[in-house]
Amino acid sequence: MKRLINLRINGVTYPVEVEPRERLLDVVRYKLDITGPKEGCGTGDCGACTMLIDGKPVTSCLMLAVSTAGREITTVEGLARPGELNDLQRAFVELTAVQCGVCIPGFLVNATALLRENPNPTEEEIRAWLQGNLCRCTGYTKIVDAVMEAARRINARPSPETA
Amino acid sequence: MAEFAVIGKPVPRVDAVDKVTGAARYAADVNLPGQLWAGFVHSPHPHARIKRIDTSKAECIPGVVKILTQDALGAGATQETIDTVHGMRLSQSLFAVEVVRYQGEKIAAVCAISPEICKDAVEAIEVEYERLPAVDEVEQAIRPEAPVIREDAKEVEAPTGCPWANLGMFRNVCQEAHFSAGDVEAGFAEADVIVEGIYRIPRVHQTYIEPHACVARVDPSGKVTVWTSTQSIFAIRSGVASSLGIPQSNINVVGQTIGGGFGGKFGVLVHPYAVLLAQVTGRPVKIVYSREEEMLDGRPAPGAVIWVKTGIKRDGTVTARQAVGLWDCGHVPGASIYATGRIVGVYNFKNIKYDAYGIYTNKPGTSAYRAPGAPQGSYASEANLNQCAAAIGMDPIALRLQNMAQDGDQRVIDRKPLSRVAFKETLLAAAKQAGWFEREKKPNHGWGVAIGEWHHGAGPGSAVVTLMDDGTLKVFSGAMDITGTDTGMGQIAAEVVGVPWENVRVIRGDTDSAPYATGSGGSVVLFSMGNAVKRAAENLREKMLALAAQHLETTVDSLEAVRAADESGRVIPRVQRRGQPEESVTLQELAQIALRTTGGPLVGTGTFASEPSHPLISAQIVEVEVDPETGVMEIKRLVGALDVGRAINPYEVEGQMQGGATQGLSWGWMEEMQFGQGRMLNTHLSDYRIPTIQDLPAIESVYLEVPSEHGPFGVKGIGEPPIVPTPAALHLAIHDATGAWVNDLPATPERIWRALHRNRDEGKG
Repeated sequence: MKRLINLRINGVTYPVEVEPRERLLDVVRYKLDITGPKEGCGTGDCGACTMLIDGKPVTSCLMLAVSTAGREITTVEGLARPGELNDLQRAFVELTAVQCGVCIPGFLVNATALLRENPNPTEEEIRAWLQGNLCRCTGYTKIVDAVMEAARRINARPSPETA
Repeated sequence: MAEFAVIGKPVPRVDAVDKVTGAARYAADVNLPGQLWAGFVHSPHPHARIKRIDTSKAECIPGVVKILTQDALGAGATQETIDTVHGMRLSQSLFAVEVVRYQGEKIAAVCAISPEICKDAVEAIEVEYERLPAVDEVEQAIRPEAPVIREDAKEVEAPTGCPWANLGMFRNVCQEAHFSAGDVEAGFAEADVIVEGIYRIPRVHQTYIEPHACVARVDPSGKVTVWTSTQSIFAIRSGVASSLGIPQSNINVVGQTIGGGFGGKFGVLVHPYAVLLAQVTGRPVKIVYSREEEMLDGRPAPGAVIWVKTGIKRDGTVTARQAVGLWDCGHVPGASIYATGRIVGVYNFKNIKYDAYGIYTNKPGTSAYRAPGAPQGSYASEANLNQCAAAIGMDPIALRLQNMAQDGDQRVIDRKPLSRVAFKETLLAAAKQAGWFEREKKPNHGWGVAIGEWHHGAGPGSAVVTLMDDGTLKVFSGAMDITGTDTGMGQIAAEVVGVPWENVRVIRGDTDSAPYATGSGGSVVLFSMGNAVKRAAENLREKMLALAAQHLETTVDSLEAVRAADESGRVIPRVQRRGQPEESVTLQELAQIALRTTGGPLVGTGTFASEPSHPLISAQIVEVEVDPETGVMEIKRLVGALDVGRAINPYEVEGQMQGGATQGLSWGWMEEMQFGQGRMLNTHLSDYRIPTIQDLPAIESVYLEVPSEHGPFGVKGIGEPPIVPTPAALHLAIHDATGAWVNDLPATPERIWRALHRNRDEGKG
């Protein structure tokens, strides 16, 4: 029943034994103790579990771990080097876009994908892209401000880096 | 206004970096070696007799460690849960005994080596039920033919004059509250116009994004440790102790980072089960609720049906108000029914009468949700007041200003004089920001306004502030941080002691290590814990200055604190002889000197329990556009104003205002726990809708600072009020846009469309 698969997460390859029915989110959180991605609903509605798989945002509560073997997975822990913050993270901190914070890993991962695709988004484009991420604390105003501020900072640099 | 160095500055939250990197550990992120997973069999029926429970198949599944039912505990065994933080007491068995009274009630608990096996075992347990008639609406539950939900339900006489008076008696009553001032009958006789309506407010779930979770471990010595997500570690400690008969001193509760609570994470819910299973298995046990379990077996906000009648003169004088409230308690008492009294509001109304009833239904019990009871009560009151303004052709803001109380006026409810209130100023600030008096009437656009008051309390707490030998300031308490209060407490301590913000560390202890702290709710934390921290910081400062005087061979009176930056721009706080910088000592030096004195380290302690507070209001204005063909509504603008006393951190204040207004808007617009024959119909976030980032405009917030007499630096409690007025403001905006009053919440496109067509059919459209 169990299969040994290689999960490649944040640049590290983890051999891990899983049952075919195990969700990617559970394996990452409970077998690898990478707990940045959160479970808010289990049905793909809240976005707290969002990870990038081969650069695309997906709700990992709806993914089976076996189907992601060998693919490039990024969680919030992989957005910046240890001890550093990327522009998005820094803007979220400085503008207090974070309250309870349980939705924030999902927002940051999804917003990273947005800024890679569209480095200069309008407010409307930010709201459209992030509509799958629910936040109950902030009313979203400061989250939008933080994404716009991060985009401004990235674009203001002479040689733009990716977020 | 005094100049502050740290207070009033938008410093980042102390927990923000951990939260944006994924490092913050929430309760479900705690994994202990050897832990087991526990799950529950919940009743699929809202009301049924349990005929048989068969666990034999589940017991055979490899990996299943333990199954608990009420029979295994001893039939009829009831546990009394006591929450000493809130003085609440609830007698309830851990599992349903013979009868289930709501869908979701726990029948059995399973413990297994993995979450998947745990789910398999839950599904393999067979329960046979005999279904009983169920009732899920209060207006049905009070009727003579309704099933009696509990033996202790009372039958009471229906108040006269209300829409349900013809029933004679109300059935299934579990709570009552009554109030009367002046003479409402005489008041109604004086009125030019009578405006009455029934306002139905649905049951909603707090919908924190993090469902309940906990991990419990029991050491061979009997020592219990619980890691959990809670608004009060001390309430969890007393709840676990009382429900399982364990001495409180044998329990340590560790509060993890909390993923939202809003009132729904105070007392025990899953915790006693994890502890009990850890006791009987000897291994750590973890429970994580699913979203569906939250919806079926959480403790949401009560719905209410409130009838309001107001007598008003054409000049705007309100002559009398009366209300009857029916509150949906679910299967146990506990709803904030006294909030029916919000028909008084912050107005000088003289003739008032209300009767409020808590009604049993076949639903889970309820708990607090941000300003418990206030959004329901204030919606009925403020929506009715807006209808009064429309009935006499008066501007709704002008009507409020004419009737609002101010400093010196006596409150109707308790005859106490008001002080340091800013009701009129707050309402006018919202009007100014929104441009209310200059607004233009556009087709299908509407504007609405409402206010919501909150009178925060206080709670006992204590804090320890230490000046460390590296010059940093450590603030230590047992208060859970849900709204940024750790940051606020740190700012208060930094201001008092005189250290730069960068040098402050705020540490939260567990129930074993931390001094007692009140629960984080009721908008009490920064008022109460802020006072405890301020007193601790002042205590520390006193010791520090005494030591400095001794060191500089002078008196405390001749010392001054200096925060000047050095050449590199670093602030090195020090104390000097007034006007003589050459005779100075840095705070870091003082902390080190203290270690070599007879007195020892520089530690300040502070305690606080209660001081009077002042009521305040949130005033909101909302602009909407409604498509008359579909009833679909777009929120164009949402403006809020609030009297905050003192904004310790403006970003945090704005965050509370924006988040609260969004929850209020959601209650008025899209949220509703829907039931059919006692079963909940929308148990997932796909059909239980809360606003997405695309549903909302940027929310505008303006705040006033009328300092509280007793709050630290003038702080008033502000977390709750912003949720209160939004539904009533929305109610008026919809009317302004369409001509229709949609009294039943939420104002879904269907309800708006139906109200419009009802108006047209009646020739009013």
